[in-house]
Amino acid sequence: MKEKQPTVFIVDDDDGVRASIRLLLKSIGYTATPMASAQEFLSAFDPAQPGCLVLDIRMPGMSGMELQQQLNLRGATLPVIFITGHGDVPMAVEAMQHGAFDFLQKPFRDQDLIDRVQKALKRDQETRTALQKHDQIRQKLESLTPREREVLNLMIKGQQNKVMAAELGLSQRTVEIHRAHVMEKMEAGSVAQLVRMVLDLG
Amino acid sequence: MPSSQLLAVMDAAVDAVVLIDHAGSILAINRSGEQMFGWAPGELVGRNVSELMPEPWRSRHDGFLQRYLETGVSTIIGTGRELQAQRRDGSVFPAHLSVGRVEGIDPPQFVGFIRDTTSLHEHIASVQEQVRRSGDRLMHVSRMATMGEMAAGIAHELNQPLTAIANYARASERFLASPDADLADVREAVSEIAVEALRAGTIIRRLRQLVRGGDDARETADLNEVIEELRVLTVADARMHDTRIRFELQKGLPGVSMHRTQVMQALLNLLRNALEALGGEPPPEREIVVRTTRNADGDCEVAVCDNGPGVAPEILDRMFDPFLTTKKQGTGLGLPMSRTIAQAHGGSVRYEPASPRGACFTLTLPPAGTVP
Repeated sequence: MKEKQPTVFIVDDDDGVRASIRLLLKSIGYTATPMASAQEFLSAFDPAQPGCLVLDIRMPGMSGMELQQQLNLRGATLPVIFITGHGDVPMAVEAMQHGAFDFLQKPFRDQDLIDRVQKALKRDQETRTALQKHDQIRQKLESLTPREREVLNLMIKGQQNKVMAAELGLSQRTVEIHRAHVMEKMEAGSVAQLVRMVLDLG
Repeated sequence: MPSSQLLAVMDAAVDAVVLIDHAGSILAINRSGEQMFGWAPGELVGRNVSELMPEPWRSRHDGFLQRYLETGVSTIIGTGRELQAQRRDGSVFPAHLSVGRVEGIDPPQFVGFIRDTTSLHEHIASVQEQVRRSGDRLMHVSRMATMGEMAAGIAHELNQPLTAIANYARASERFLASPDADLADVREAVSEIAVEALRAGTIIRRLRQLVRGGDDARETADLNEVIEELRVLTVADARMHDTRIRFELQKGLPGVSMHRTQVMQALLNLLRNALEALGGEPPPEREIVVRTTRNADGDCEVAVCDNGPGVAPEILDRMFDPFLTTKKQGTGLGLPMSRTIAQAHGGSVRYEPASPRGACFTLTLPPAGTVP
């Protein structure tokens, strides 16, 4: 799988604010993609694109809050940093309750924005790594036959081969073969590791 | 010649009392009269009474008398009127004159009673000035109240260029600190800083115009231009209320003779009402359209239409009354003030429901040169 470069999306209807944030991020070497409206961002939205979103909370048409809702509905994990005006604290609080990564009040210190963007990008990467790991585990699980799946379920309950054989109506030898296949397909070094993999999926 | 007792009675009067013969010669004048007109005692007797009035009446007075003697018709006897009187030194003062014909004497004699009304006129002028000032004051107070309602939006709007400037400055600093700095980036930042600073300046200039203005002289201005000047503040206010605002300005409108700040105030009131009216609507739906046109009568019109609930039927016939407000912190002066301003410009403000829903307030102003 090709790794995409992270980008910082800036969605703000104010030309000056948007362009200045882009240049500020460029000055520390970040790639930023400025966009003038929430609609523009949504129509170009690619869940596979890593990065974070710097989002103006107040915009005509679709507001920042509404864009956040739309992203939540699509199950997007992109961290959102809200930019708010002076009197917008109650809105910012609401945005945080809906899972915003952080918010900044205008005008903000450049370092505050940079710190938050850095943290948001790190969070995004962690989230993506975790999701990728989950995907891999899920794929491995899907490669198991129904019988192997039954064996795995009993293995993580800590059942002995003898009990499993009785429960599944198989010979102990057959259970042992299934068990080896499960360990092999799941690429697990130990039963403990196997248990953790399955628990990670939640 | 009047008897000495009659002269004593005349001298007791506060007003000037002048007795003249049929040719206009002064037969007698009391002391108050001599003082009022600045003459020494006895000096006026024998002079023509027309010397007590300025031109053009001075030259015409003999003619007036002559005509009365010939026709018996007078426009002044028995009625009295306000006119200008002239002192010996040539200065003119307002006076009230009533004239009577002395009965039983031929050729006729006339008696005039003259009251100096200078202080009365001064009093009237000062009352008028007070009324004008109260009106100006009220207009100012109402405008300040409107500005107060817009403060949050304006503060936000000023914050935008300040934020951009701070970002550009910090970005420049960082670019310059890096060994392989690309000066093109710094140049862009510095040039944008200037743009943003000017933008902040424009907002402040528009603000000052509204805060300070009010005593601006009448001038001929394009309504579209006035709307453009309000645009930055209005858009900021609308943004604060999560409302879209659209401008549909018809080009080539004739100039309107106006007190610019007053017309701005009238428009601001309509715009603010529209924003307030949309408060209960879901934010994505809220929209205001500002449309200028020239109507069938050739007058300029600005319609401010919202897609809110419209004006409630129960206040339809009272909405232009002062102190009627549907806002939590309204003064109730907005609409009446807009209408007063429109009428002072020979125009009007009218209401129509918008289609499919909402309110439309239209300010109509006649083009310059069509109203006195």
